[in-house]
Amino acid sequence: MATERSTEAGRRSGVYARAVRWLENLSETAFAYLLLAPAFLLLVVIAFWPLLSTFRMSLFADSISGAAQLGEFVGLENYINLLTGQLDTVALPQPFFDPSAPFQSALIVTFIFTIVSVFFETIIGLGQALVLDQKFRGRRWVRVAIIIPWAVPIVIQGMMFYLLFRSGIGPGVAVVEALGGSTSPLVNSAEALPIIILADIWKTTAFMALLILAGLQSVDRSLYDVAKVAGATKWQQFKTITFPLVLPTVLVAMLFRTIAAMRIYGLIETTASCTTVPSLSCLVVTTFSTRRYGTASAVAFVTAAIIGIVVSVYIVRYWQGSEGGV
Amino acid sequence: MAGAQASETSDEDDAGPFTRWVQKSIRNPDRTYRAMFYVVTIFFLITTLFPFYWLLVLALTPTDLVDQAGLLPAGFNPEAFITIFEQLPFHVYLFNSFVIALGTTVVVLVLASLVGYVFGRLDFPGRGILMILVLAISYFPPAAFLLPLFRLFTGNVEILGLSSPFVFNSPIGIGLPLSALFMPLSIFILTTFYGQIPDGLEDAARVEGTTRLGALFRVIIPLSAPGVATAGVLTFINVYSEFFFSYLMTDGQAQNWGPLVWGILGYQTQYAASYNLMAAASIIGVLPVAILVVIAQERIVSGLTSGALKE
Repeated sequence: MATERSTEAGRRSGVYARAVRWLENLSETAFAYLLLAPAFLLLVVIAFWPLLSTFRMSLFADSISGAAQLGEFVGLENYINLLTGQLDTVALPQPFFDPSAPFQSALIVTFIFTIVSVFFETIIGLGQALVLDQKFRGRRWVRVAIIIPWAVPIVIQGMMFYLLFRSGIGPGVAVVEALGGSTSPLVNSAEALPIIILADIWKTTAFMALLILAGLQSVDRSLYDVAKVAGATKWQQFKTITFPLVLPTVLVAMLFRTIAAMRIYGLIETTASCTTVPSLSCLVVTTFSTRRYGTASAVAFVTAAIIGIVVSVYIVRYWQGSEGGV
Repeated sequence: MAGAQASETSDEDDAGPFTRWVQKSIRNPDRTYRAMFYVVTIFFLITTLFPFYWLLVLALTPTDLVDQAGLLPAGFNPEAFITIFEQLPFHVYLFNSFVIALGTTVVVLVLASLVGYVFGRLDFPGRGILMILVLAISYFPPAAFLLPLFRLFTGNVEILGLSSPFVFNSPIGIGLPLSALFMPLSIFILTTFYGQIPDGLEDAARVEGTTRLGALFRVIIPLSAPGVATAGVLTFINVYSEFFFSYLMTDGQAQNWGPLVWGILGYQTQYAASYNLMAAASIIGVLPVAILVVIAQERIVSGLTSGALKE
């Protein structure tokens, strides 16, 4: 018995020793790829394969009634029909792009949401970052108060603004009415979108503020001393030192926020519902739940492509800007 | 000088306290900046905290008095904080979210540590392309992954003749997509931290006879503990707060690993008139992350700031 166990242990340590020796003798490149393997396996299964698969599905027709998941191969027809508006009334719950109903068409809603919310998040985030950059008593608690909205679960963020603007109980309804709106803003597309934007600004400005704060803290403080000696006012200091040096960080933060804003879904679903404010992601999920898998995949890929185009525009302009500017 | 100023202002007929304050400020701009700073700070505090306060007002207001609730609760009825655990198994939803967030964080930290070590400390062909590949994932909307993952997790995809395991309605169904989705952030934070450890420390450990992996787990990771903590806290908060996959990768039953999302939405759809329950559930649901932010604010700030500096 005892000998058996010891030989077993010996065998195991032999395997272990051999494994260690094998690891030690790997070249640096092979070792690197070995360590990357588990993470990339996960990414392949959970991210890259689904992307390719979604693309493949988008080339097939829908099969709503049949047992099969997909209809016949139709090539790029789904994309052509989507972009020419032929799917708007047939397969989609809301139009993809219809200028006559701007607050009902997914592309316009997503763009309005992204541009307006990122604009205000940048301005207010810069303001919060300037506050957090100061030294004052109680800074720790001010910082906690400013960060907390960023950590609030999306469903609770949605619930907060639902309860703030719900007709009959929300104090926000009186504000909307005073501005000339209706008594139930959450079921009115044109009024629900600004509320969604407000909710997004409330939650994610903190993220913007923290990224910009990082840029602020990397600014060389002696520059301000020089400016003071030269008699520059605070505003001049901000205009000539802070702003230009922080601008690259602000642009990167705006890029991150733009990518995230174009995927908006959960907040809408909780606050106003996808039928009132249809974003691009909303369109994918609602089309998917009616078993129109081909159409849903095409919308998903067009959404990804639009984000890709926006990202490339940002990056190209940023590169040109930094080359031309410096 | 001060006396001269005072007599100057009192000479004017209508010099109220505000006018006097303005005149002083014009002479001394720093005062203005200070005042502006406090006004702005208080404005930020009110706007960020008001929605929380409104939740508290609604949670304490009895259901039948809800239309009378103003800036103060109408009546005082803290019972809602107990009722939410009775009407729906809200504690189970909370527990599910906790398990999913913790499990995902562990998986992300282990995998991202290996990747961060490779990207931060090793030089090999293909490094740049692989890093861009990791970053590229964040460009795609979760909706672009949804359809195939849904089929994969409901056992509808055949791999080498075997159908995929049924993990819909399990922590894996939500945890795996979220691991992939949030791993890039941890990878970039850990790459920064691991890259900053001096080579000499790792070499010394290796000379002592430590294996390659031993050097990673006994030298590099312990020395980068703040970075690992930051990545962990951010991942936990991100997963706990996530909506898309948490909502769509389970049928929402508490016994089927439905997370917090479903607990909160349950009160919105099934108890549509009980605003006090919705508000109380939201307050309880936000507490774990709020506590985490209070404890770990330094880590969160340094994590996001170091991540940004790297870009």
